[in-house]
Amino acid sequence: MMPARNLSSMVAGNTVRSPRHFVFSAIGVVIGIGAFVFFLAGVLRVQSVLFSVFPLEEVEVIAPHTSIAGKNLSQKLTQETVDLIKRRPEVKDALPRMTLQFPAVGFGKFEGQEIRFEVGGFTDGIPTSYVGDDPKVSDRFLDNDAAGVIGPACKPELGSKGCPDRAWQYCDKVDQRCHARIPVIVSPTVLELYNTQVAQSHGLPHIGAMEQFIAERGRERMHFTIGLGDTMVAGSNLAMTAAHREVGAIMIGVSKKAKRVGLTVPIGYVERWNREFAGEAASKEFSSIVVTLRDKDRLAPFTKWLQDEPRLKLEDSLGEQFGTVVFVITIVLLAISFVIVGISAINIAHNFFMQVTERRREIGILRAVGASQRDVLMIVLGEAALIGLVSGVLGSVVAVGGSLFVDWASAAFVPDFPFKPASWFDFEWWIFAQGIGFSVLFCVVGGWLPARKAAQMEPAAALAQN
Amino acid sequence: MAPDPVIQLERVTKSYGDGAGKTQVLRGVSLDVPRGELLALVGQSGSGKSTLLNIVGGLDKADAGAIRVLGHDYGATREPALARLRNAKIGFVFQAFNLLDHLTCVGNVTLPASFDRGARDVDKRGREALGRVGLGDHALRKPSELSGGQKQRVAIARALFNRPELLLCDEPTGNLDSATGHEVIEFFRELNQKDGVTLIIVTHERRMSTIAQRVITMRDGQIVEGDQAGNEDTGGPA
Repeated sequence: MMPARNLSSMVAGNTVRSPRHFVFSAIGVVIGIGAFVFFLAGVLRVQSVLFSVFPLEEVEVIAPHTSIAGKNLSQKLTQETVDLIKRRPEVKDALPRMTLQFPAVGFGKFEGQEIRFEVGGFTDGIPTSYVGDDPKVSDRFLDNDAAGVIGPACKPELGSKGCPDRAWQYCDKVDQRCHARIPVIVSPTVLELYNTQVAQSHGLPHIGAMEQFIAERGRERMHFTIGLGDTMVAGSNLAMTAAHREVGAIMIGVSKKAKRVGLTVPIGYVERWNREFAGEAASKEFSSIVVTLRDKDRLAPFTKWLQDEPRLKLEDSLGEQFGTVVFVITIVLLAISFVIVGISAINIAHNFFMQVTERRREIGILRAVGASQRDVLMIVLGEAALIGLVSGVLGSVVAVGGSLFVDWASAAFVPDFPFKPASWFDFEWWIFAQGIGFSVLFCVVGGWLPARKAAQMEPAAALAQN
Repeated sequence: MAPDPVIQLERVTKSYGDGAGKTQVLRGVSLDVPRGELLALVGQSGSGKSTLLNIVGGLDKADAGAIRVLGHDYGATREPALARLRNAKIGFVFQAFNLLDHLTCVGNVTLPASFDRGARDVDKRGREALGRVGLGDHALRKPSELSGGQKQRVAIARALFNRPELLLCDEPTGNLDSATGHEVIEFFRELNQKDGVTLIIVTHERRMSTIAQRVITMRDGQIVEGDQAGNEDTGGPA
């Protein structure tokens, strides 16, 4: 067998002296691999955005809704349900969420403007431990009232100014003592909605990183008041068991664990407020249970168990649906890429058959001076592989060029929307490796039959060609 | 005692095509060629000379018969070993020169080294081989820049690059003018006498017959062995 150095030198020489053959063979592969790398990088970015918004290893379980004559007869999610789910082998953790079950309204000043927004129905509570892995909010996301953290007496008319820690305390109008403000978190979705919809239309500042915004503008800018038992909606029918009162709240940051659209506070507050305003039963009834699976692969068996469990169902997961759509689109796009590269491989086979026929005499000479059948096979396959390698690299360059154009066009012409990425592509190193690898593979496959034909030529017959 | 034969052929047959179009090219050819012999193979066109030469060089396969060349029984030798034998011990010179146009002269001459794992000082040896045929200063020229005689000398240098024991020449002077053909014939004689290389030359050149130690005439795929050079009418081109 010929030494690798000689082989590569001969392959490179043969390729360089046939530029027309190279271009005809490579063009389809460049397009196919370009499409493959382009699509894969695009899909990867879409997936990463999608799964950051909808983590697949985390699902939400709810009770099936049933109603007769306008009366809600749905099963109730209780602590017993949480414990039942926790016992499943697929489950790593299960944490309840509780929705505020009575009207409430938020109001305050933000950037010099009076704002009011509905809180009842748009607020829920989660265990403080649920954000334990999020260092941006975990320190302050505490149920201070449950911990008995009550400050000195104060005058309600002075508001926070009457309390020792003006940033974190407010003066409660009922007991006239300083209390820790209710820590509130919002989801990235809310922040995106604010930035892309509200900020522009209301002349409010764009918030990049919440922490930076708070540091620049001051913690007090994040204060607001929640009017428990109050509402902006006319005609509320709920008979409340307590009189309207106000509590101080503070926005402490952004967390993926927060309610997708709304506010989230420690669950202890919601339990106590529900008990106070909607009765004992409301304080024990969860709106959903967030289930963290041991890994993504446990989703299928857990879903199967839920199908057999009539009291429970999986919340329709947009993430799962988007994930499926993205998966299908990925398969279709990659299939298109492979079809292009596959057709290119056939084209390569055709070109190489022609080349091998044209180069019969040359092959005969090589055989006469000592090339074995295997040497000839390796020379032709080497030329195919080199075309694959160069085409793979060129295809990758074309893909990156295409992506830069798309990103430029997106920035210039596509209006902002929630989670719009700065770049639509995620060029991981392995995408290029796969692209180049497939390119070489397809070219070698395309060159296989011609190479075999060349190797099996009888040298005497090949030399007889003029 | 006669020296060991370098080539032993026994009842070698070869045909091309099949059915009604089948042509029997060799009909039971038997031949022994001792080491160091310069053998001229003559005969009319289509008599089977070139086919016999190709079979001896392992460039073509016989249908039947025993072939033993330089100690290798072709019936028991696998293709890679046959390629190594061609690379190391057999040189070929063709009427059409068979040079690769995209390579320089030295590139053509050193082509056999591409398939030799143990090749050393390749460029130096290539230039020496070119020098031996009087083209030392043409190393970097392309074949298209050479005359027919120069091309054939490059082809001979390539055949001699690995110092072969056996040189197989198929009409080596067929495309050359008379004077150049004479130079080539002289070169072969010198090669045979000084270096002891065994040569089989397919030729219709009468002068070749004068330097050959034995002339064999082929007719219709069979050989007629002549006893001395120059006694056979070689007929037309092979």
